[in-house]
Amino acid sequence: MSEAILKLEGIARDFYDGRELRRVLKKTDLEIYPAEFTVIAGPSGSGKTTLMTIIGLVLQPSEGTIYIGDKKVAAYSDTELANLRMRNFGFVFQQAELIPALSVVENLLIAAGVQGGSISSVLREKSLALLEGFGLKQYSHVKAQKLSTGQKQRVAIGRSLINDPKVLLCDEPTSALDSESSTIVLDTLKRLSKDSSRGVVMVTHDPRVFPYADRLIKLEDGGITYDSRNSTEGGTQ
Amino acid sequence: MQGMRRFLKRWCPMRSLAALKMLLHDRSTTAGSVLGVVAIVFLVGQQLSVLFGLFNYMSVLVDHSGADIWVCTQNIQNINGAGFMPVRYVDRISGLPDVEWVEPLVFGSASFRTREGQYQPVQVVGLRNPRQACGPWRFYQGAQDALFDYEGITLDRLDLNVLGSPQMNHFYEIGDIRTKVLGITQSIRGFAGTLVFTNMVKAKEILKTPAGRCKAILIKVKPDTDISAMIGVLQKMFPRNEVLTTADLSRRTRAYYIKNTGIGGSFGFSTLIGALVGIIIIMLTMYTSVLNRTKEFAVLRALGARKIDILIVVASQSLIIAAIGIFIGFLFLALFLAGTLDSVLPSYMPTWILFYHAGFTLIMAMLGSILAMRRAIKIEPATVFR
Repeated sequence: MSEAILKLEGIARDFYDGRELRRVLKKTDLEIYPAEFTVIAGPSGSGKTTLMTIIGLVLQPSEGTIYIGDKKVAAYSDTELANLRMRNFGFVFQQAELIPALSVVENLLIAAGVQGGSISSVLREKSLALLEGFGLKQYSHVKAQKLSTGQKQRVAIGRSLINDPKVLLCDEPTSALDSESSTIVLDTLKRLSKDSSRGVVMVTHDPRVFPYADRLIKLEDGGITYDSRNSTEGGTQ
Repeated sequence: MQGMRRFLKRWCPMRSLAALKMLLHDRSTTAGSVLGVVAIVFLVGQQLSVLFGLFNYMSVLVDHSGADIWVCTQNIQNINGAGFMPVRYVDRISGLPDVEWVEPLVFGSASFRTREGQYQPVQVVGLRNPRQACGPWRFYQGAQDALFDYEGITLDRLDLNVLGSPQMNHFYEIGDIRTKVLGITQSIRGFAGTLVFTNMVKAKEILKTPAGRCKAILIKVKPDTDISAMIGVLQKMFPRNEVLTTADLSRRTRAYYIKNTGIGGSFGFSTLIGALVGIIIIMLTMYTSVLNRTKEFAVLRALGARKIDILIVVASQSLIIAAIGIFIGFLFLALFLAGTLDSVLPSYMPTWILFYHAGFTLIMAMLGSILAMRRAIKIEPATVFR
């Protein structure tokens, strides 16, 4: 069995809702493995997006520790977390969230150049190759806002891959798509998950996604109730 | 256009390119911010140009005297407040080895009688050798020869209306003394009133200057002469008088008027208002722009942008807006200066002030963006998941 890329130990998250402190994610242990398409499913409010943002170092956990490989990252500064995000994670959001002012290819390159520095010709070629892989090369210099929703989402996947992330995090990427576009996106993500250096984690409440999953995790009331890797109920403390 | 694109691709970091493209995309907000900068550049620039125009009026005689050194009465605060001094000092000074020329000067207020019988205040300047010292330097009609005529005077083109449209070669009374208009100068105006140039004899007659007296003595030294050493010699020679360089007397005159007429405070206040209006426009538009782009900034943060990167994006946008605004503002300012050239509105903009003005505007634009910057760096990357 391969080593986990990412390990969460006793992760929990509290939110203050204006009146009281509410625990939206109970103490959770989780490991993400490469070459695995992990689907985290659950109803609205189950804490799946919170879990995903903590995995992606976007949100700091109230408790617990995160490891990338052997490195403990939970106590890092905002800048260090940003560096880690850039190097280790690719994000695909619910909406494509492309920058409308930029062209399609620039939307890919911004993920590589967001911390400044010039873009190498290698990166430019890589971005065009990614677009070609998604059948979008002919739109590379078109403004992102002119693409269809499905095309935008494929560009967003391309953007998430530009820095060769260890983990690809997808937040309900098919929720705004028609079934044809959803199938294209899911097939793409499934193909990407075959890479032995990368794990794909997807959050969804759409049961049509489940057949694509190598591993299915179910979340309810802020706790993991099912993990197909263990094939047992539980996992929540 | 293709060349520009290639240049941007090659040399502009992606982060700055994104900042620029975001600005170009959100045209209405960008236009609003640019308007703010143009307001600062034009309003402040226009106020400054009028202020410098007035400065020129204040010390016009001193600045265009052609002299290096002035000998005046003691404790002189401004050139128009000079008292009488013996004209025989001219002979003593001309005996000094490093002196090229020495000229006495008389000036003072008098009343010009228009053809309709009205009286208008004028400043009469009497010269012995107008080609050498303090003579009128720009003519609309006539020439400096006008002042060699016993009754000859010059008036300025911009003052002709106030003086009842006097005609060339016609006779007019100043201080009940008959004079003849033999020259019309071009935009030579004084702060204390209309400048009328005439010869020394006529000026003394009009101003009723006591015999053997003048208001100032102007000295031109030979090339390579140490002016401060010369001032020391003259000061020793005339301990009851004040000896100043032309620049010092000019500064002292301007400082006097700024302090005692409220011009400094008034222009300072209106300049401040102009700057404030601009800053508020920039502040509001930049802040709104950041609010409208909250999701975009959150995406950038999620992708790995540090707070400093977001700060650089917003700061770059402010600098681009400032640069465009400064360019447009300077164009408007140039139009204003060209439009008011040789008009009754005093306007003059020294080149060096433009650099300070551009620098000041850049600082103002950055100050106006502080609120937007603060807001932008507070945007949490998690926002994009909500």
